Amino acid sequence: MPGQDDINSPADRAREDGKERPHLSRRSILRGAAGAGAAGIAAAALAGTAMPAFAAASGPAHDTKDRVTDTDTPDQIVVHVRDARSGEIDVFRGTSQTRLRDPQLAARLVRASR
Amino acid sequence: MSSHREAPEISKDPVADSTDVYAFVSPDRPGTVTLIANYIPLQEPAGGPNFYEFGDDVLYEIHVDNSGHGLADISYQFRFETKLTTPGSFLYNTGPIGSLSDPNWNSKQFYQVTRVDRSGAHVLASKLACPPCNVGVLSTPDYEARLGNPAIHHLAGGVSVFAGQRAEEFYVDLGSIFDLGNLRPLESANVYGKAAGLKTAPGVNATNRLNVHSIAIQVPISDLTVKGRPTIGVWTSASRQRVRVSDEGSGFLHTGPFAQVSRLGNPLFNEVIVPLGKKDYWNRQPPVHDKQFATYVAHPELASLLPVLYPGAFPNLAALDKAGTARADLEAILLTGIPSGLIKGFTNYTGAVQADMLRLNTSIPPTPASSSTFSTLGLVGGDPAGFPNGRRVTDDVVTIELRAIAGAVYPLIDPTYHVDAVVPSVTDGLTGASVTDQPLAAFPYLGVPYDGYHNPS
Repeated sequence: MPGQDDINSPADRAREDGKERPHLSRRSILRGAAGAGAAGIAAAALAGTAMPAFAAASGPAHDTKDRVTDTDTPDQIVVHVRDARSGEIDVFRGTSQTRLRDPQLAARLVRASR
Repeated sequence: MSSHREAPEISKDPVADSTDVYAFVSPDRPGTVTLIANYIPLQEPAGGPNFYEFGDDVLYEIHVDNSGHGLADISYQFRFETKLTTPGSFLYNTGPIGSLSDPNWNSKQFYQVTRVDRSGAHVLASKLACPPCNVGVLSTPDYEARLGNPAIHHLAGGVSVFAGQRAEEFYVDLGSIFDLGNLRPLESANVYGKAAGLKTAPGVNATNRLNVHSIAIQVPISDLTVKGRPTIGVWTSASRQRVRVSDEGSGFLHTGPFAQVSRLGNPLFNEVIVPLGKKDYWNRQPPVHDKQFATYVAHPELASLLPVLYPGAFPNLAALDKAGTARADLEAILLTGIPSGLIKGFTNYTGAVQADMLRLNTSIPPTPASSSTFSTLGLVGGDPAGFPNGRRVTDDVVTIELRAIAGAVYPLIDPTYHVDAVVPSVTDGLTGASVTDQPLAAFPYLGVPYDGYHNPS
């Protein structure tokens, strides 16, 4: 079973509560990668529409990472295969970063990039 | 320089490059503190047609630590948005700019201010107007009255903000200092200067008649401090989202969490303390992790270079350095604040956590500029309202830090230490008078930006 971690801080995750969480299935990632042409190991899913530049910001400020800031591209996804061998993949969407460990998905993205 | 182009990576990203931070009890409103963070260094005023702007894709922050842990208890976030009035024109302005809403001004910037603290994020104001750059006498006539001053926004709760171009008030003889540590007033004693036959000369202010972009906020002291802890730590940071994708259609996609690319607390910390191989890394770290850099404060490279560059001038400093003595004086000034008991009636100690922050004891009243006790040498000059108790706009931080590194305050740690006789003469030869456009007496304090018609002249 592939692992999935939201590598944002607990505060970041708390702020995500109540918001629509990104749905990051293997199929959606592959669809995004294909849509972007899969020109490299980092694949961009450019399917969204721009949002206003000034969205709400919230969160405590104990650490520079523990904060929420806005995004103007919440529906666009960028996938970064950090290590194809181990299947370590970062998925970027809005102001979030989610780390997956899925060797099969990584292998398919690598194949698609060639 | 204080922090202009101080590290390899950030020198290639000027809009995110912090240059100076100021934190002081406002002299004209002593119930408030003014926090200023400058960005975009070394602006030639005539730098058109695309004049300088904040980065719409940069998260600018001014942080306040009021509990001594080296982390932000309060952050003021600034986000910018650029709007074109006349996208079909290549011009910055299509006629004289008479007001902040003038349609002649093509490329306008607006910003949002958010305060983030333990209770969450609170948008203080949105769609605040920046002033334009000071283009020239025809484009931006009567600049301060029509454009600069109206860009001071007074918000609820006694908070004032300003974001836009200002005159560079930091003064330093860059051309000499980074030419093998030369100080023009002492260059006949510099080992290379002597060989070249140089005579003593006055300093040259390399940052004079240049501009910066300033983010300034003035807030009641009670908004920043907690009971029983009047000293706050202050620093700025700039962050960018981790991913940027160049897209044929829409330009750039920015996504992912914001990651810090620049920070600044004490002037010159990254510039002259942190070694070149770690400067970029330092820029990505929060102050709470600064213990890893403490060795460079305790054993600063510059302290070992001064006796070499100026043979015979610093014998006691050379002995101190040769003995491998940790510079507890510099550690206190830069990393923890000065504990009580070292200087009568003064402390800005925030605790044992070593963190590079400007430390401002807000209980110390401002010293009027007209007072006989006012000194641009701050605490070293007997004025407890100046650097390193926070930092005022006119403080001569280059001279203060040069002398401190040369051992001027080491007797606070070891009363038997004799400061080298040359130390009171150590300076790059500049004073506040070396700046053409002088600071303002009121918020945002930094002077009127130099215009592109007269500068360079």
